[in-house]
Amino acid sequence: MRSPSLRALSIATVLAFCVSLSLVFFYAPIEAEEGFLQKIFYLHVPLAIVTLCGFVIGGLMAIAHLRTRDARWDLRSYVTIHMSLIFGVAVLITGSIWARGSWGHWWVWSEPTLVSFLIVMLLYATYQPLRFAIEDPERQARYASVFAITAGAFVPMNFLAVRLSASYLHPRVLGSSSNLPAPMALTFLVSIVAIALLFTTLCSYELAAKRTRILLKARSRILGYQS
Amino acid sequence: MIASLSRTLPEHSNDGYVAAAYIVFFAIVLIYVAIMAVRLGRVERKVEALRVDATKSDIPPRARGGIADLDEPNPRPERPDRGQEHALKGVPHGGGQAGETV
Repeated sequence: MRSPSLRALSIATVLAFCVSLSLVFFYAPIEAEEGFLQKIFYLHVPLAIVTLCGFVIGGLMAIAHLRTRDARWDLRSYVTIHMSLIFGVAVLITGSIWARGSWGHWWVWSEPTLVSFLIVMLLYATYQPLRFAIEDPERQARYASVFAITAGAFVPMNFLAVRLSASYLHPRVLGSSSNLPAPMALTFLVSIVAIALLFTTLCSYELAAKRTRILLKARSRILGYQS
Repeated sequence: MIASLSRTLPEHSNDGYVAAAYIVFFAIVLIYVAIMAVRLGRVERKVEALRVDATKSDIPPRARGGIADLDEPNPRPERPDRGQEHALKGVPHGGGQAGETV
């Protein structure tokens, strides 16, 4: 767990966060309509993007598991989805704080982006109960992979459905209608990199910890211990 | 403090919400890291106990070496060596206990 690559990743994450926060608070201009409150955008939106990408990547790893039957892919898929769930909770909380400051309500049920993200979160909230309800390890991994693939395919479809819906309360950041000034766009991109690095670092630590625990159990059995 | 130092900050703003959002995020990350640290400490104690017991008993050197390996820095955590790979493959699908895949 004390590998040089993990240490380098951790340092890169801290540096990226320092740069990102400096840009957010000292470089990016104040937005005309929302004022200082818009600074939440540089945290909330990258978190949401990384979370949704994490769900999709978890699905892709599950495909690799079903193709190869290699348990390590299942472990990676599990850790990625687990981390995405934690980041998703942060997305919901920061989004609610932003909504309260911007719209005066903690939650707006008529806003499709909010509700669709909540649906995705509720869908993935069933992943762990489903997984740990199955005792046989092989079946557990196989069923979890099938769930991860199905839910992972639902994420981009859900995103597209929201994009195609009529009402747009949420500002469009990526795409043809993007109208971010250059300093804001740069800050936003650096924020995405920082959040993605944090996600990768935490996933790597979680994977290393889980591998160590599995190895420990295996070696304990070799030595005849009950761990 | 950041808000007061920021030259881009207007005189009257909703900086409380911004502070709350960033504090909540960093609190979540900190809580997660703290949980990881506690679990890591538990694993390290188990490894230490196993190593002590393995050196005291008549365990073959090969099996004992495996325990010693756990504490060594792993140069490539993404690709375990052949022995670790075998253990990873063997534990979840090879008659392990429920939930051992994760």
